[in-house]
This record gives sequence, C-alpha cells and structure tokens, in this order.
Amino acid sequence: MRRTAIAMTVAVILLAGGIVPLGAQQPKLSLPGIPNPGVASYAPEVGKYGGTYVISQISDPRTFNPIVVQDTASGAFTGAYSESLVDQDYLTGEIVPSLAESWTTSQDGRTWTFTLREGIRWSDGKPLTTEDVDFSLKAIFTEGVDNSAVDLLTFQGQPLKWKVLDRRRIQFTTPRNLCPVGLFLRLIGAVDVVPKHKLGDALARGGAEFTKTWGINANPKDIAGTGPFILQSYVPGQRGVLLRNPGYWQVDIKGQRLPYLTRYVILTVPNLEQARLKFLAGETDFYPARPREFAELKAGEKAGNYTVYDGPEGFGSEFLVLNQNPAGVAPPKLTWFQDVRFRRALNHAIDRNTIAQQVYAGRATPAWSPVSIGNKLYFNDKVPQYPYNLDRAQQLLAEAGYRKGADGLLRDPQGNVVEFTLSTNAGNTDREAIGNILRQDFVKLGMRVTFAPESFPSLVGKLTGSYKWEAIIIGLTGGIEPGTGRNVWLSSGDLHMWRPNQTKPETEWEAEIDRLFEQVACEPSSAKRKTLYARFQEIVAQNLPLMYFTNPKTQPAVRNTIGNVKLGLQGVTGTLETRYYKLAYK
Amino acid sequence: MLRHIAQRLINLIPLLFGVSLLSFVVIQLSPGDFLSEMRLNPVVSAETIEAMRRNFGLDQPVHIQYLKWLRQIFLRGDLGISFAYHVPVTWLIGSRLLNTLILNIAALIIAWAVAIPIGIHAATRQYSWSDNALSMTAYLGISTPTFFSGLLLLLVAFKTRLLPIGGMTSLDYEFFPWYGKILDVARHLVIPATVLAFTASAGLMRQMRGNLLEELRQDYVRTARAKGLAERPVIYKHAVRNAINPLITLFGFEIGGLLSGSAILENVVGWPGLGRLILEALVQKDLYVVMGSLMIGSVTLVLGNLMADILLAVADPRIRYD
Repeated sequence: MRRTAIAMTVAVILLAGGIVPLGAQQPKLSLPGIPNPGVASYAPEVGKYGGTYVISQISDPRTFNPIVVQDTASGAFTGAYSESLVDQDYLTGEIVPSLAESWTTSQDGRTWTFTLREGIRWSDGKPLTTEDVDFSLKAIFTEGVDNSAVDLLTFQGQPLKWKVLDRRRIQFTTPRNLCPVGLFLRLIGAVDVVPKHKLGDALARGGAEFTKTWGINANPKDIAGTGPFILQSYVPGQRGVLLRNPGYWQVDIKGQRLPYLTRYVILTVPNLEQARLKFLAGETDFYPARPREFAELKAGEKAGNYTVYDGPEGFGSEFLVLNQNPAGVAPPKLTWFQDVRFRRALNHAIDRNTIAQQVYAGRATPAWSPVSIGNKLYFNDKVPQYPYNLDRAQQLLAEAGYRKGADGLLRDPQGNVVEFTLSTNAGNTDREAIGNILRQDFVKLGMRVTFAPESFPSLVGKLTGSYKWEAIIIGLTGGIEPGTGRNVWLSSGDLHMWRPNQTKPETEWEAEIDRLFEQVACEPSSAKRKTLYARFQEIVAQNLPLMYFTNPKTQPAVRNTIGNVKLGLQGVTGTLETRYYKLAYK
Repeated sequence: MLRHIAQRLINLIPLLFGVSLLSFVVIQLSPGDFLSEMRLNPVVSAETIEAMRRNFGLDQPVHIQYLKWLRQIFLRGDLGISFAYHVPVTWLIGSRLLNTLILNIAALIIAWAVAIPIGIHAATRQYSWSDNALSMTAYLGISTPTFFSGLLLLLVAFKTRLLPIGGMTSLDYEFFPWYGKILDVARHLVIPATVLAFTASAGLMRQMRGNLLEELRQDYVRTARAKGLAERPVIYKHAVRNAINPLITLFGFEIGGLLSGSAILENVVGWPGLGRLILEALVQKDLYVVMGSLMIGSVTLVLGNLMADILLAVADPRIRYD
C-alpha cells in the first residue's frame, strides 16, 4: 500500500499568495519553516497523538532502498519514510501534490516544471532540494541499479531528460515525437526521492554497490526520508519498528502536525493463517481478509472489537489465455485458438457465477473487461458480455463448423477432435479451483481437456521463453492506469502472451490497440483518456485474447481502536499519517 | 583417535565438493530462475530482466558460475550474495542461525531429559499400566507430524491466551531488562520446543526402553542380581550404561539435524530461524542462499556423526578407531 496524500489545491494556491480568503473559516495553516504544508483534509476525524499501530505481513522486506524496491513487503517499509514529487489520492486515484507543491506544462506538453514545497527536511535535518531529485533519477538510470522505474521512464529506447533550474525547481523534457504526457504524472509518481547526502557515496562506487546500500543489514540510523515515519529497528524474520517523524511536512485541518501515531510496527508472520490468529487475538490492528473469511470475521466483530469492511473490488483478476503463437502451437490447435468464434464460444462456457460462489464465497464480481470494476477512474461497464450459456456456446461452435459426433466428442471442420491441455501454477488454490470448474464445462461441450497445473517457474518459462503451451490460467498485477501495461497490450510486447514480440500487428484489432495506447500516452486529459480506454476495453472484450473471470472484492478488517478509517480504491483503509489511536496509550 | 578424527575431517572435503557440485547442477537444471516472477510484471521490460541476469551472473554457463562461487569461498570465505535481499549469504544465515540453535538445543535438552528416565521407567515396569500408557503416548508422538501438533498448540494458545501466538519475541522486547528478555524468549519457546521435544522424545523413549529390556535379559544382569546386588545399582550402574550406547549414535544424528530439524515447524509457528529462510529461498530459486544453507547443513551432519563416534569411543572402552 503506497502512502497517499491530498492537498486542498484551492487553499494551497490562496495561502501561497498570502491572501486570506474572504469568509473562509479556515485559519492560515503553516508549520515553523514550512509556509505551505500539505493539509490532510480528506481525513474524516481530527486525531489524537500517541499510540502504536501494528500490522503483519507474510514476507520479510528485501531492502530498505526505495529506488530498488520491487516487492510489497519492502514497499510497506519504504512507503512509510519515502515519498515522490506527486502522489496518488487513495480515494479517487487522481494525482495530487506531494513533495512538489505545484507544476506547469509547456504548450506542446513536452516540458514539465515542478516546484518543491518550501522547507521540507530529511529526517536527519538536512533540507530537501532538487539535487536530491536529480540524484534519484540518476540512480534509476545507472547501470547495475536493479529497479523497474527505468522502464517506465524510457520511451522507445530514449530516456527522460531533466535539468535542475534552482534549489526548488526541476524541469523534465520528454523526447521529441514521443509523448508520454498523458501518463507523465503517474510515471514521475513512481520515482521515490532519496537523499543524495546519504546515498551519494554508494552510487559513486557503482550501480551494484548502490543496489546493496540500505539493505536489510543497514543501520537504521543511516536511513533518512521525508515521510511520516523513520525506521528505528529491524529484526529479520520478526519485526520492523518505525517511529514518528517529528518534522513531517503535513498537518491536519486544525494545523496540527502529522502523523498522530508514535510507533508503527510491521510484524513478519509465516502465513496468512497466523496473520489472522494474531489479528483475532488483538496482537495486530489490521488484517486484509480473504474473500472466504468475510462471513466468519463478520460474525466475530463484536467479540473481537474490530470491523470488517465490505470493500470494493481490487485491480487484479485471473484470466484464461489461449496460445495464438505459431512459434508455440501448430494447426489444428493454432487454427482453433486464433478463431475468435472459438474463443467467444469458450467464453460463454465460463461459469463466472459459480467461480464467484465457489472460489470467492460470493465476494467477487463477474469480469468482462481487462480493467477492473474497482478502477472507478477508467472502468467501462458497456463492454460486450458473455453470460454462462452452454447452448449458446454449442451454437457458436456449430456456426464455426465444429460438430459434436455420436461419441460426444467435438470435432473441427477437418474432423480433428478438439483437445488441449489447460495449465496454471500448482499451489495457487484459487486458480486450481477455477481450472476444475472450467474443465468440467469445456468437457460438456465435447472437448477433451486435460487440466495439468505445473510449477510457477516452469509456467513462466513457457509463457516468456519456449512458448510451448496451449491454455493457461494466470493473473497479472494491475495499476490504475492501463496505459502503463504496455508490455502486455502492445503487439510488440514481451508479455503480449497470446502472441508476443510481433514485428507488426498481425490483426486489425491488435493494430487498433497499439494506436490507442500511443494516443493514450499523448493525451493529458484524464476524461479523454477515459474514452480511449473505454474503446480499448471494448476491443478486448470483443476479441478475447484474455478471458477474465471475476474481480475479487477486498475485505479489510481494522481494530475499532484505530481512527480515520475510510475506504478507498482497492480497499485501502486510510493513510498512515492520519491513522490515530483512539484510546490513551496502549 | 586423533588420526581418525583428522582422517574424517579430510574426507569431508571431497564430500562437500560432491554435494555442492551435485546440488548446484540440480538446482540449475530445474526450470526457471530467480527472475521468473519478475517476467510476469507488466511494467518490467525484457531488457531490464536481462540486465539483472547479468548483474547476478546468471547469464554465464553453469560451470563458470560454479567455479566463481568456489573461488569466492576459498579466497574470502564468501558464500555469495542473495538475489532477493542483496546482502551476503553469510549475513543472512548468521542472522537466523542463533534462533534455530536456541530452538533445537532447547528441544534436544527437553527431549533427552524426559525420554531417558521415562524409557528406564517403562523398561523396568514392562507391561504395567504406566508402561502401556507411555507407549501409547510415544506412538502418538512418533506418528503426529510437527506441523500438525504445532498448529494444534497455536490454536490452544489462541483460545486460552496463555501463550503468545508464534514468533520469538514480544513487541516491547527491546525495552525489557536482561532477565525479562530471557523470560520472553522462553515464553515463545514453549510451543515449538514442546512440539519438537515431544516427537523426538517419543522415539528416544522407545529406543531406551527396548535397549534396556535387552540388557536386562543379559547374563551379567542375572549374575549381578544373583550375587545379591541391590536392584538400583544393577539397573543404573550396569544395565543402563550399556543400554545407552546405541543412543549415542542417535545423539550424533540429532546434532547433525540441529539446523534443519525444525524447518517445517518454523514455518508453521513463525520462528525466525533458518528453516523459513531456506524454504523461501528454495521456492524463489535464490541460488546462493540455497547453496550456502546446503553446505552448512552438510557440514553439521558430518560433524554430528563424527561427534557421535568420538562420544561412543569415550563411553565404550571396547570401541577403538586405531
């Protein structure tokens, strides 16, 4: 969960000019040395100081270096002390100011100038300047620094260019003829700003050295950030403790400096089972429950002094993909898989309601689009749907020339029996259950389907290396902006699973998606991007390269002693800086 | 004796070579590598993954990788770098080693302290109700997998709220005085140590009982009794000393398992030991962490057996290695 923040844009502009608006009840909010602090106006309550907030996660952090973080367990730590120029509002998904208080765009949309908020200091007291931003970007582009931001900031082989104007202003220039302007703010929000005075020496010794610096063996005293908390200690396999940053740059609506909490503790537990037990026993304050646990947790709310929320759908989804790559499968299978009528028939045979009931205990919504229904910003609810109907599936197959013989087996127009192997990664019980439901229905259509889960590395090897697979059930992580998933959707992408690395689009609809993604990248208006994304979702739903099953819901459970709980996108329950402990100290 | 020990230690070297070479090749033969998961990340490009492969040295042929790894060990005692954590494998293993040792040594002491007296008790009162009850319990102990009894006890801890649910220390551990710290770890030790000790002592107790019964049927015992020696010296001075010999070999095995014996249980109760680290590394194919822990495991196993042989020679004057 990334920390998110909102500032009251209107108030910010007025206050920055030193004008007290007429009739405004709001007193002028400022902090010593920070004339224009961020204001957490989204928080429903004004909190109290003190207290400890304890959460658990099932993996150890792998690094404390915000630039090289790639896993959520490390992100939970770095997200508490590290920030970016801009942030994503956790309630709406919109981009809001963070370390940068404002920004301007040039007429052609290629040049962006950001102004840092005045007076922000690193937790060790040194002031934050654009030199630090410059340093963080240099680190990202240094050979040997393991990070994924480099791909976001490179456009068709050309890296982003930037220039420090003065201590508070930095200017970015995107390459000519390429326009990532539509996504630019999201991309820049993925860059954590790290202190040059702490990490400069490491980078000077090379990228590999930088990757190792601020590792889990680091002395917490060497780690500095601008975020609401500071790392105090970390014991491998047990817990990390973060303390309140007394110089944080955000305030509540009364002008009190955030965060409220004194301590933020992240426990490492071996599995979700123990995470649940620890939450129920009162040892932790937060548990992101699984769909199946919702009813049981709901029943124990009073006794356990917690509330489990009926959260919205997350952004991820599992899907079925058929191999349309001639390098991987040969006819007749290739012919079936490339035939959209075949795919549509299969899609009618996917029983999404049963999947939602049996796999997710009813806590999932049937999915028809590559964008989750939980993505309020870009979800298109008007895409074609394929309700579960085996007769309709049979009819579509018959129209495409497939015949069911007297022996009950389905044969293609050439007389080949339709048979294929369906796989997924073994050990993922959700996907295995879905696979069994799918197989049953496909068999009813007369197909011979072998369901053979295999190990995750071997599955990935086939998907991205040998291409020797037929049908796979898998899922991908999704961001709020589908445009960042270029690897999957561009026909030239490596993760364009059904037919990767095409030199030029093989089909008309793939060509249209390619064009849409270029347009989206050039489109600064969120509303216009929404229309483009709507068309993209429609194309995918018509041509079904990926057949999505459901969007599982979130069900976060929070102890009642914790204040400022308000559900946002993906079931995020609030921000770390506005969390507070309702009782006196525990 | 010394010559024998030296010989065994020298034998260790080709053995470790064999083990390391075999495991290195087997790990590399299985499909996929550490970067598998990243390949499915929609925002990471193939070039970036290739660059990481180069940084990790995974782009080189297996024999080069192996030789490089060996050279590091010989030159600097460096077991390599963990792909996942970007820290030296020695640091990673070092940060968990003590925890695993604490758990296993505690379990070992409890198991032996309980099993030997109970075994003697059961043997001297063969087929009495207490012998039967103890045997039943022992069967239960042998046949219950540790992950199951571990989960069961966690559930008991959850229902009664008498013991902490997993982990090794409390939230405020750092603020405790030294005796508070010991007590805190001891409280967390109760469940995992009990589970391990229960399983281990069940086997030991059966072994002790069987050995002692065997010895009690020997002629020298009859002789001792016939010459009017009291029952206590007969059993404790003569029979038990002879009966305990085979157990010393077992002890050696247990020393060898000190680092690996609790791996599954650690994953159930959340004990921050080597077991969790190794399992995770194995799943993720974090090559050098797996190799490092395999090496350490092999060394302890061999040393444990050596120790058993030495102890056996000390305990039994009939055994000579020269």
